[in-house]
Amino acid sequence: MIRSLVRAAALLAALRAVAPADETCMSPYMPKLTGQEDFVYVWTLGVDGLGDGADKLVILGANPGDPATYGKVISSVPVGGRHEAHHGGFSDDRRYFWAGGLDDSKIWIFDVAADPRQPKLVRTIDTFVKDTGGVVGPHTFFAIPGRMLVTGLSNDADEGGRTGFAEYNNEGKHVRTVWMPKDAEYGYDARVQPRLNRMLTSSFTGHRNYMRKLPELLGDAEAMKHFGSTMVVWDFHARKPIQTLQVPGAPLEIRWALQPRHDWAFTSTALTSKLWLVEQQADGTFRATAVADVGDPAKVPLPVDISLSADDRFLFVDSFFDGTVRVYDVSNPRAPKVVHTQQIGKQLNMVSQTWDGKRVYFSSSLLANWDKTGADDEQFVKAYGWDGTKLTPLWRIDFVAEKLGRPHIMRFGQERFYKNQIYAAAAQKAVAAR
Amino acid sequence: MTRPLAPLLVLLLVPAAAARAEAPAPGRLRGVDPAELAPTYAVGGFVPAFEPPAPGTYALPVVDEVADHPLLDADGARTSLYAETAGRVAVVAFVYASCGEVAGCPLGLATLHRLDRDAAADPALAGRVTLLTISFDPERDTPARMAEMRATHAPRARWRFATTGGESELAPLLADFDQPVAKLRFEDGAWTGLYRHVLKVFLLDARHRVRNVYGAGFLHAPLVMNDVRTLLAESAPPGR
Repeated sequence: MIRSLVRAAALLAALRAVAPADETCMSPYMPKLTGQEDFVYVWTLGVDGLGDGADKLVILGANPGDPATYGKVISSVPVGGRHEAHHGGFSDDRRYFWAGGLDDSKIWIFDVAADPRQPKLVRTIDTFVKDTGGVVGPHTFFAIPGRMLVTGLSNDADEGGRTGFAEYNNEGKHVRTVWMPKDAEYGYDARVQPRLNRMLTSSFTGHRNYMRKLPELLGDAEAMKHFGSTMVVWDFHARKPIQTLQVPGAPLEIRWALQPRHDWAFTSTALTSKLWLVEQQADGTFRATAVADVGDPAKVPLPVDISLSADDRFLFVDSFFDGTVRVYDVSNPRAPKVVHTQQIGKQLNMVSQTWDGKRVYFSSSLLANWDKTGADDEQFVKAYGWDGTKLTPLWRIDFVAEKLGRPHIMRFGQERFYKNQIYAAAAQKAVAAR
Repeated sequence: MTRPLAPLLVLLLVPAAAARAEAPAPGRLRGVDPAELAPTYAVGGFVPAFEPPAPGTYALPVVDEVADHPLLDADGARTSLYAETAGRVAVVAFVYASCGEVAGCPLGLATLHRLDRDAAADPALAGRVTLLTISFDPERDTPARMAEMRATHAPRARWRFATTGGESELAPLLADFDQPVAKLRFEDGAWTGLYRHVLKVFLLDARHRVRNVYGAGFLHAPLVMNDVRTLLAESAPPGR
């Protein structure tokens, strides 16, 4: 009897129905939001002479049911100074937002639960380099139970690409540092597929490259040799590298498939403009294969962020120089097909979509010294609806006109999640649907 | 140990009203979209498709430390976290008996049930491992109700069931483990009878240090058991 109950509980857990939620690329250990997002949290680089000039967390209204805030800036939380604000992520219970600065390696932790409209900075970690024994450039913030995994981009010895990743507990105490293996020493993103106990990491370049002005860097042939060309497959539980994959041209963001038995992930290479499929083989090892071009690689469109829909059908691929998103049908992940192409702006970086795939958000900034200049230096967050064939504009916010800065990573918030409430409207809707 | 975030968590998650007994209204939940009631972590569920790494082949760094906290055992006797776990590797899970969240407490209990059977089957683990289930719903999960939970699972190894004397004991315990819970309410403030929480199961070494934390997508009994054996190998006397 007990055994039956236990089996039934395990089976129910295994068969749990798909629920509408959002943020398809977030840590699988973290609760997702269901339904309409109310806020978009945007980690934003400060610009000298624009507003207070400081890096800040900007809170945008995203719920059309609240016309007073929809498509508007609700608030912002400056952290003082410019630190090359880049990526961030929520804690395991989604109550705190961690954000990093790639230049001086500071980390800020915001409480977003107490008042999701006005987050509060509750802790600053300014000992990342010391804690980790020399890792520089906290990049990806990936929640795992009880702690935060933080990848690095560089090191303090030569500011090149040799780096590692660190773990902090939820109070901000350093737990451990793991350096990348010698045959794949560069770092960038890290994503875990818990079902397989496998983590993938990707590779970019070091501080002395990512802080240089881009035209100058592109003209320095020696410097351009110092970009990563590898991905590493890890035994996640043991935190041990078990396979190095050759993926030339700086593989950046990693997106594991979300559907059961889809044992693969995508990445894009910035310098060679290709989509790569990283797929588990029958013997348990992984193979990386270039499966599509992004635009014309000869024109170096510089693919940056990617976002995979929850049904593993559509992959959104942003490229920076042409400001364009290309939507690939990846129903057959070995043969992606472009089904939609649209220029979003004069430059383009991050893309975040909702779990139901109906809304897609774009931001413009890549790095302070890599963004375009003059009239091409558009800085925006734009929201679109996606119906499976086309993107329809919903709203846009000009981050220059609003004197905010350069918007980078975007994450979603929802008021009733943090209030621990369910709404009568949701109940009635469910009843009506029965 | 300084815990600047902990008092804030307690203030946020344990409202003053919760200090008094509060009648839940679960009848109003009929027809509510289940997605409103429980967190969604991933598409589908967690079906592990891997062999965990062998015990002793990897490190389990100290994640945190926990202080002692008073508890009430399933017989209603006063005890404490340290008293229940002293000198043993412990797997500690926070649950509440009314939880219907399949990726929550039932999954935690099912995993501890499996660990209990595995521990009982291995004489080398005798006297060295404790499983501890603690309720975060002291209003309803009285010692008698924890005894019912114990009877349901009929432990074969050392698996203890405990609750607390009320919110004043519970709040610092949950804050220490970084296990926030909150009553899930209707828009008018009435309690649904459910809690919003992220399932966490904690692995403690014999010195009350947190050596791993398991959540949905990571709570895999063979993996937890290998972690237990990894910690036991650390503390094995010379020559063993």
